[in-house]
Amino acid sequence: MNKIWLCMIILSICFLLWTDPGSVLSQMLDSSKDALTLSIELCAVYAVWLGILELVEKSGLSEKLARVLHPIIKKVFNINDPLTERLIAMNISANMLGLGNASTPLAIKAIKQMDTGSPVASTAMIMLIVINATSIQLLPTTVIGLRQAAGSTSAADIILPTLITTIFTTILAIFLVKLCAKLFKRGEK
Amino acid sequence: MSLYILPILFLFIFLYAHAKKVNCYDTFINGAKKSIPLVVDIFPYIAAIMIAVSLLRTSGITSLLADFTSPIFNLLGIPTELIELVLLRPFTGSGSYALLNDVLLTYGADSYISRCACVILGCSETIFYVTTIYMSQTKVKKLLYAIPVALICSIVGSILACLLCKIM
Repeated sequence: MNKIWLCMIILSICFLLWTDPGSVLSQMLDSSKDALTLSIELCAVYAVWLGILELVEKSGLSEKLARVLHPIIKKVFNINDPLTERLIAMNISANMLGLGNASTPLAIKAIKQMDTGSPVASTAMIMLIVINATSIQLLPTTVIGLRQAAGSTSAADIILPTLITTIFTTILAIFLVKLCAKLFKRGEK
Repeated sequence: MSLYILPILFLFIFLYAHAKKVNCYDTFINGAKKSIPLVVDIFPYIAAIMIAVSLLRTSGITSLLADFTSPIFNLLGIPTELIELVLLRPFTGSGSYALLNDVLLTYGADSYISRCACVILGCSETIFYVTTIYMSQTKVKKLLYAIPVALICSIVGSILACLLCKIM
């Protein structure tokens, strides 16, 4: 991450030096302000979701959900901690409903739960990141909303192609992570 | 239909928790309380990524990169108009939604380009943003193959999206 970020910053500043040097600081300040605005919005959103999720957790619903998804999670993530399993089950369910904002705090908690203090990410962590990155979405609500607003006559007709693509990429992701995990283990020996 | 899913889900959760003799008010407060420390923790990560993305965009590197890589993307079946979207999607959520809106308004909501853009956005995530925020609470520094694999899946998803929109 350090290298990627540094490259982005250095390249951009070099470019801006001979196109528009005055905009460097103002752009940085502007986007920092945008980040703060976004954070405040997220804080409000997370308060609602974390409140609801606490109820889901305390009422035992998350346990039920984890039990339903248990065979899949067991196979894909290969973890033994029941709390992590519950968090992952809720994260995946939130993703499926298109609730990106609800799934983020869950994933953060799950990753924290899996953290052993080691500087290298475990396979289960990588799996969670990659599965979230390919976003198993059943209802792309935001996209449909934007399309409707732009005057589409059948805003929902993207659901089927989205579904096929998202299922395909998720399966591909699981397969690739499993494959890489094997290759890395062999490399260490 | 989808309008009813969430309210019904919420209603079910509250009623279920009440039936299980959970104190709903206190429990909700306890959960909601955690949002402030969480956001305080992840704010610097959000700021860092947003600063880098805005610098990239204003410097014109992304549009240059889009021109430069268009032969490759066209070969893969991704139209030139969508390259900037595909390139920026891994970095910024709000930015890519703004781009999608541009595409929708420029080419018309029901055009091929717009439908592709919608499917691409619907089936991908802001990989770099998500990764930094997820990892923000741990000591993990080495992500091994996480980002390359996520990027490959995302590109394959984009190619498939353009293909499916052509035939469906």
